[in-house]
Amino acid sequence: MINGTGSAIQAPLGDNGVRRPLRKARAIGAWSIAFAALALVVVVVIDILISVVGKGAQGLSWKVLTTQTSGISGGLENAILGTLMLILVSTIIAGPIGILGGVFMALFANSAVANVLRYITDILSGVPSIVIGYFGYTVMVVQWGWGFSMLAAGISLAVLTLPYIIRTTESSLRQVPKSYMEGALALGMTSTTALRTVLIRPALPGILTGLLLAVSIGMGETAPLIYTAGWSNFNPTFQMVKNPIGYLTYVVWTYLNEPYASAHQLAYTAAFLLILIVLILHILVRLLQRKPALQ
Amino acid sequence: MKRHQLTSKMFRLATGIAAGSPLLILIVLSFVLFRDAMPAFRYQGISFFTGIIWNMGNMYANNPIVKNGVQAAPGAAFGILPFIVGTIGSSIIALIIGVPIALMTAFALVYKVPPSLAKIVSPVIELLAGIPSVIYGLWGMTVVAPWVEYGLGPWLSHLGHMVPFLAAPVGTGLGLLTSGLVLAVMIIPIITSTARDLLKQVPTLPVEGALALGMTSFESVLHVAWPWAKRGIIGAVILGWGRALGETMAVLMVSGDAANYLPANLYSPISSMAAAIASMLDSALTDFSGLSVHALALIAVTLLLITMLTNLLARLLVQFGGRRVGVEV
Amino acid sequence: MVDGGNIVTKFNKGALLAVTSAVVLGGIAYGSVGVVGAFAQAKPVHHTVVKHQVKHPVVKRGAGPAVKLQETGSTLLWPLFQLWVPVYKHVAPKVDITTAGTGSGVGISQASDGVVQIGASDAYMSNQKLKETPGMLNIPLAISAQQIMYKIPGISKNVHLKLTGTVIADIYLGKIRYWNAPQIRNLNKGVKLPHWAIVPIHRTDGSGDTFLFTQFMTDTNSAWSNSVQYGTSVSWPAVQGALGANGNQGVVQTAEHTPGSIAYVGISWLNKGLQGGLGEAQLQNKAGRFLLPTPATVAAAANAQIKATPKDERISLIYGPGVNSYPIINYEYAIVKNKQANANVANAVKNLLLWAINPKGGNTASFMNQVHFLPLPASIAPLSRNQIEQIHG
Repeated sequence: MINGTGSAIQAPLGDNGVRRPLRKARAIGAWSIAFAALALVVVVVIDILISVVGKGAQGLSWKVLTTQTSGISGGLENAILGTLMLILVSTIIAGPIGILGGVFMALFANSAVANVLRYITDILSGVPSIVIGYFGYTVMVVQWGWGFSMLAAGISLAVLTLPYIIRTTESSLRQVPKSYMEGALALGMTSTTALRTVLIRPALPGILTGLLLAVSIGMGETAPLIYTAGWSNFNPTFQMVKNPIGYLTYVVWTYLNEPYASAHQLAYTAAFLLILIVLILHILVRLLQRKPALQ
Repeated sequence: MKRHQLTSKMFRLATGIAAGSPLLILIVLSFVLFRDAMPAFRYQGISFFTGIIWNMGNMYANNPIVKNGVQAAPGAAFGILPFIVGTIGSSIIALIIGVPIALMTAFALVYKVPPSLAKIVSPVIELLAGIPSVIYGLWGMTVVAPWVEYGLGPWLSHLGHMVPFLAAPVGTGLGLLTSGLVLAVMIIPIITSTARDLLKQVPTLPVEGALALGMTSFESVLHVAWPWAKRGIIGAVILGWGRALGETMAVLMVSGDAANYLPANLYSPISSMAAAIASMLDSALTDFSGLSVHALALIAVTLLLITMLTNLLARLLVQFGGRRVGVEV
Repeated sequence: MVDGGNIVTKFNKGALLAVTSAVVLGGIAYGSVGVVGAFAQAKPVHHTVVKHQVKHPVVKRGAGPAVKLQETGSTLLWPLFQLWVPVYKHVAPKVDITTAGTGSGVGISQASDGVVQIGASDAYMSNQKLKETPGMLNIPLAISAQQIMYKIPGISKNVHLKLTGTVIADIYLGKIRYWNAPQIRNLNKGVKLPHWAIVPIHRTDGSGDTFLFTQFMTDTNSAWSNSVQYGTSVSWPAVQGALGANGNQGVVQTAEHTPGSIAYVGISWLNKGLQGGLGEAQLQNKAGRFLLPTPATVAAAANAQIKATPKDERISLIYGPGVNSYPIINYEYAIVKNKQANANVANAVKNLLLWAINPKGGNTASFMNQVHFLPLPASIAPLSRNQIEQIHG
């Protein structure tokens, strides 16, 4: 199993003891580099947070949260609600499909089929988001005549997030010990009943984690939305087609380009809100994961 | 009982269809892209990949020209070599900078950082993976680009007499190096968290055995743990590379949006394939012949093929040898 | 990812429940406020841009059902729309207008694709594009101009460098690389120009400003007219270090932060550019004089050419005749499909555009002066009005 071990044992044996101080110094040097790397990563995270959160938090007020954008100023209410609506639509589409797909791959497919499906799912998750945006614009927005709309944008996001939901559902179902399933089948349950009564409970935190990660991925997307959602200064309505919709990442991307202080402030505030939502989602994921799946 | 079995069957069918949906999506996506891309390939041929000039042609001309049976605006030429070079160049820089840092970070996290501290640092790194790419772009524009322009760039350009590619002019900070740096930060969390999970799975017995044999702690990592986790980590590196290749917004914001020339030095403005699609789709749509949009579709096809290949490579590396080491995407 | 099972479960369960419910409840409360607000349509748009009040002709106050209009395109026209929208809210309270500065290319293509109602553009549509999407109207709303701006270390922004079209073209062609090149020095005797590399900045989005600028280059430089030519997006000559920027806003922003830069900027961004420390060039017109874009020089250029304006109003006003004519001026177009989704939308678009070109409405001096535009000449307005009348449901 561990084929690295053999060569490892031989390597330093010959001169063991003789050059020990040198090797010790080398080890210390290597670990110092490792710690420097770790420190660098932490510094970068802190720098990103400071440069965004610091400026973004200044602009945060109740008024910004409850006012709609007007040109280069105003608030972000339309963008926040738009982002939430887009996530809702994409999760409604991708959630059920993703979970069902994950169930199939974990329980019903034989290993060869599961392997192929897993590969295809991985490829889909690797498709650059702008390619999906291109597809969304030329096919849904123009060819099918949906215009800039919640539906076109929601479907684009669903395509992007679907692979993550499938994969996390599959892996969390696989982590449930085989004996659970076998026991249930021995009791005469069909695999469907077994899934419903025995397997779903221990797998649920993992599945929810996948959904939350998918939400955080979808929320942070820009490229596929520019050409499918458009932009609107007004709060979203429930009209699914021919109705452009605002979203937070648009504000970051566009308003940073404006030579107006008020626009910059909005961009930073939008970035801050995005980080805040990601943070909340991550805390939720952490709490879900800490809960032991099995006792 | 019968009805029960029927619903059970129906449920199985539904899950099967759902599991097949990524395949369906990919087929539809590829079909549409290939269909859209064909005219551009017929028009430009293989020089699409080797040409340097990207010219949508004179859109105000009164008559289109016809070449190889395809209508185009006069003067239209589509060469994407600068975009390919920009894409690959920036992602390679990202790997050169990002991979060592990510791996060393993972080593430190697994073997040296006290668990109480690791509990704080690990989530922070995972948070890095969840940050939207426009925010990386914002950070790149406002922090990294000025640093490259006034700090790193002038310093590196002193090495210019040894490595001509590093020579001045440094320019404005928007370009190849900044794109690479931002992409490096974006792929570090992917590689670090996978490497950390894999290293944690390394059985403790051989590592401790190596220590008992007189290896230093770092040697035991290098000779025992690393070979064990190597393939999985390389898979993660390739996945990170795939992400860097397809990244759109962050690159668009810090690349300087260049076209029609190859980068002359490390600081030259560039553009990537993904960024080019995003920034040119709107002007391409004003092309009356429609060929510019087809050319963008051909870029998308190229990008899609490259990402498929990298994914296949990552998968083969991870699975080869039959070791069950999962890579969390 | 999953770490450890021996952690106090109860605490986590409680915390999870608490965080989740807080997030969900907060979201619901916040969301319902917003969405209900959107349905009620009761919220007035906040006035942050325009402080003054304009007397506007009452166009059937509050007539018709609620309509949402989408305007996108020209970043040169965008600041004017920004000024118009809050005021127009009083004229037609039920019409909600979203504006976006995305570049004229987007204005043309998205109006043609029918995904927005009004495309804004500094460039008229090409014959071929018009053939491809028949029924598109090119409606001038005002007259605008474009200036060349620069940031040169050591040169005060109050020094207005003299530049000719052909010299600027040579800069963008990469033939002139430094600010102290003889061609520039000869035009500017007495100005101490530094040996500083020129960074030409161009638009990356499909842009009417690019259209105007490249037309000027085409008219004045034969190397340019034989290679690059003109359009809303052109294939820029390879100049090492040249930068692309998105929209007029991006160009101004990039030019401000790039010593040595030169850029073409729509006149509605003049104030912003000057505030940012950019200099403004005097351009040589056809008669050989060096002029800044002022109301007088822009009007002179317009007056010399309005007679030539055809019925569909698609005409280039670049590099026109006249001693006092500023060389880069143009009509600002609304690109609109003559057939709209339904009668309500059609009426809303019509009323908005009629108000926009009305000398007592959108073409009032108080609007025009802020963006340095000129109102539509009295002889041109009827042509625009005729086109607007063709819009139907």
